Amino acid sequence: MNKIFNSVNLIPEIQWVIAIILAILVFATILFWFWNRINPSNLVDEMQLRTRSWWIMCIIFLFASIVHPVVTYLALGFLSFLTLREVYSLLNLREVDRSVLFFCYLSIPIQYYFAFKGYYTLFLIFIPVFMFIIVPFLLVLTGETKDIIRSMCILPTSLMLGVFGISHLALLINFPEMNSNGVSGKALLLFLIFITEANDIMQFVWGKIFGKHKILPRVSPNKTWEGFIGGVISTTIIGCLMGFLTPLNIWQLIAISSSMAVFGFMGDAIMSAVKRDFGVKDMSSAIPGHGGILDRVDSLSTTASPFFHLIYLILITS
Amino acid sequence: MKKIILIIIYSIFWKNFLKIFIGLKYVNEKTLKNKKQFILIANHNSHMDTMAIMSAIPSRYIHKVHPIAARDFFGGSLFKKILMRYLVNATLIQRDRDDPNNDPIDSMDKMLKKSRSLILFPEGSRGIPGVMAKFKKGLGYLIQRNPEINVIPVYLDNVYKTLPRGKNLILPYNCYIKFGDPIKFKSMEMDDILLSSEKAMQKLMK
Repeated sequence: MNKIFNSVNLIPEIQWVIAIILAILVFATILFWFWNRINPSNLVDEMQLRTRSWWIMCIIFLFASIVHPVVTYLALGFLSFLTLREVYSLLNLREVDRSVLFFCYLSIPIQYYFAFKGYYTLFLIFIPVFMFIIVPFLLVLTGETKDIIRSMCILPTSLMLGVFGISHLALLINFPEMNSNGVSGKALLLFLIFITEANDIMQFVWGKIFGKHKILPRVSPNKTWEGFIGGVISTTIIGCLMGFLTPLNIWQLIAISSSMAVFGFMGDAIMSAVKRDFGVKDMSSAIPGHGGILDRVDSLSTTASPFFHLIYLILITS
Repeated sequence: MKKIILIIIYSIFWKNFLKIFIGLKYVNEKTLKNKKQFILIANHNSHMDTMAIMSAIPSRYIHKVHPIAARDFFGGSLFKKILMRYLVNATLIQRDRDDPNNDPIDSMDKMLKKSRSLILFPEGSRGIPGVMAKFKKGLGYLIQRNPEINVIPVYLDNVYKTLPRGKNLILPYNCYIKFGDPIKFKSMEMDDILLSSEKAMQKLMK
């Protein structure tokens, strides 16, 4: 136990971010509390529920990310597991796919082990190269070919979203190039999560206040051009303000944060379309006010890998 | 001793395993909290059903709750019998009522008279998921003899997906176990009892 707590050495930048996050949460809690006092409505109730869930998520996340790297890996691996479980519970897969699902779950510890050890190449190719061949073959081994194409497409793609994307968060933590010359992987991880979630919130807020022109009328009526553009602009500003967490200069920051905003929007839109196809509003009811785990991490699963590789490109070329 | 074993197995191991790993959610399980004696009736599609129900029972009187199992299926060997007796806390009964000395209703009735609680699967055996089979009359006889005992319907929603019939691999699946309120019977007629219990179950299914 002592060892765990002794290994907590927070650089001042991370302490700043923790203070900022807690300040935002306190501010939101007080704001919605007063708002509810003055003008109660369903919207405020929902916002209060969401804020309460944000408190829990932030506390879990901060605890997991500052205590010890191993705890962070376990927590992120568990997040991947929850995401896969949610997808497979909703998908109505064939009963013969069960044995293959076991191998899909098994790929989580393998992928996170590669991230932990920093085996960069293996980490990169394990799912897109090996699992994309192994999983369809395992499906063939079950001998049942009816509707096999559906399973062959769904299972590897679910690994891409739920395991490959999210595991890039874990790779950031102690990847060698990300942890030398004054660069801190943990700070980058905080930066990524902060701007991704800020982007979600900003797109939601701008859309709620100014939203008029629907961007995807048939897929998600909540997404508007006003929300999208306002979200991208405010995320870029937030990214520049949080730039002290990264080694980037101002132009790189603008490029990275605006592209993260667009990637986050794409992830959100992809999951909206998937949910529409299933005919559900939320993936599950795991997080009060937000829906399922995947409703919250959908944008993270599409921002994590582009973020990692863009930063990597910048760091090795500069 | 038996109580400690059962608490470790169900209230600690299975409960956490089901909650964290399998993704089982308990709905309205607090209804059991202040009831000393009850008959739980549940739909039956998988061996996980018994584990899910046992894990929801308050540890204070878990040793007094007995799942009812068929002797011809679970009482095959001595090993199985001991397993069922001590690790599941099950009571094995005859499926048919041919032997008057060994009447299943009598043995269940005896358990109730000893202020034990029972877990019954009134469909008789593991049925087709999503389809509720007609309830067996045994439930009716038991309630007629013990009209004062709470009968609580339990609906296991998708629990069978974690371990379908004929499979050996337990896999995670987001599922629910829903507890209803005690059933109020209009009269002690056999048809009334079966109809009200089936209706209470249908209500939970929605």
